[in-house]
Amino acid sequence: MFDLAASYEMFLGILGVLPETLLIAITILVLSTLLGVVLALIQQYKIPVLVQLTKLFKLFLRGTPMVVFLYLMYYALPAIGQFIVTLLGIDYNMNNMSPLVILIVTVSLTLSAFQSEIIRGSFLAVDPGQIEAAQSLGYSFSQTFTRIVAPQAFVHAIPDFANSFTVAIKATSLGFLITVIDIFAQAKIMAAQNFRFVEAFMMVALIYWGIGILITKFSDRYENDVRIK
Amino acid sequence: MTLETGMQELLMEFLKTLPINIIIIILSAALGLLFAVLLTFVRLKRIPVISQLADLYVSFARSVPGLILLFIAYFGIPKVLPLIGLGTYDISPMHAAIISMGFYHSGYISEVFRPAYLAVEKSQHEAADSLGYTPMQKFFRIILPQMVPVALPGYGNALVYLIHDTSLIFAIGIVDIMGTAELSIARSYGTNQILIYFIIALMFSAMCFTTDGLVRKLEKRVAIR
Repeated sequence: MFDLAASYEMFLGILGVLPETLLIAITILVLSTLLGVVLALIQQYKIPVLVQLTKLFKLFLRGTPMVVFLYLMYYALPAIGQFIVTLLGIDYNMNNMSPLVILIVTVSLTLSAFQSEIIRGSFLAVDPGQIEAAQSLGYSFSQTFTRIVAPQAFVHAIPDFANSFTVAIKATSLGFLITVIDIFAQAKIMAAQNFRFVEAFMMVALIYWGIGILITKFSDRYENDVRIK
Repeated sequence: MTLETGMQELLMEFLKTLPINIIIIILSAALGLLFAVLLTFVRLKRIPVISQLADLYVSFARSVPGLILLFIAYFGIPKVLPLIGLGTYDISPMHAAIISMGFYHSGYISEVFRPAYLAVEKSQHEAADSLGYTPMQKFFRIILPQMVPVALPGYGNALVYLIHDTSLIFAIGIVDIMGTAELSIARSYGTNQILIYFIIALMFSAMCFTTDGLVRKLEKRVAIR
């Protein structure tokens, strides 16, 4: 039945891949936030063509599961990359694109739609009176933005950003489908070695759970620290 | 075989396996709803030990990827069954999928129902109590009608996520539309994968937008005027 010693060994083995997984998740979070800012700006200033494209993209993501999107990208991204590369006249074979890149691009694109909504929402949540007060004190536009609006919007966004980070970590578990090894794929590999599937998946579930709890705790504490009381 | 007839055959094949997806979605949604109602009830009533366990369960279900719950159900249930004296049965992948997806879904919607219940004003409870409503009457006639409009948008979202998550069930060997896609790609030596996954994306979109539309219609009907 449930073998504790084997579980412990697996726990350590899976933990060894954790830093890599976290690194992937952080990369995804950063990229998707940058892209989210761009999408939010496009939607805020209603830039012709681009705003329709953004809407179409969001509609696509609403209806398509991430696995399907991942497979689509897995087969389409090298072709697209090759097309761009030949267009630029660079001699480079895109077909040996690493699956890790594909995973990061896919999840970042998916998350960017959420991030743009979070960013838009948190900027809209800043009291307009704050901006008026800053203007009446003679702050320039960029000063108002960096000293008044952005810090307040950031505080609003913390819980949602923490949530996005959890989503990013959970999404990397799909990586095993395209041969990226994260903690889930590691668990699957270790399980296949000695057929202790239940132990391996319980251990990796425990790790995911622990990370989830830690992220919530940290973000709550950080939010408490930076919120103006 | 020309490409066009090949495409048609492929589409027919997908449509043939689509019911499997739909059955799993409906059954796990039903199971999830049932369990979520129970979970929410327990969490709101603050029954010592059991409430804490329910809280723990919700935090677990929300922080673990659906894929893992799927695997735990598939490999774990046959090991747990003998412990409660049910003998050794292998669990069919379909059952494992329904159970794990249902439980995954329940953790999510319990977090939709709880705030919806808490959003009903306290004075409504007091008014119902002062008019001599029994707890059952109070819940079904006063509280529930006010909860539904608050909970529906979140519930609709949860259903869409459930549909997204059921795209993972091919990982435990169910031949649903994703499984069919893998098989047909293997059969055709890895040609036109992009087209195949694009068709699948459209199929999932159709399911999601139908659900979205239905929930929206319901929202309009129950809106408090």
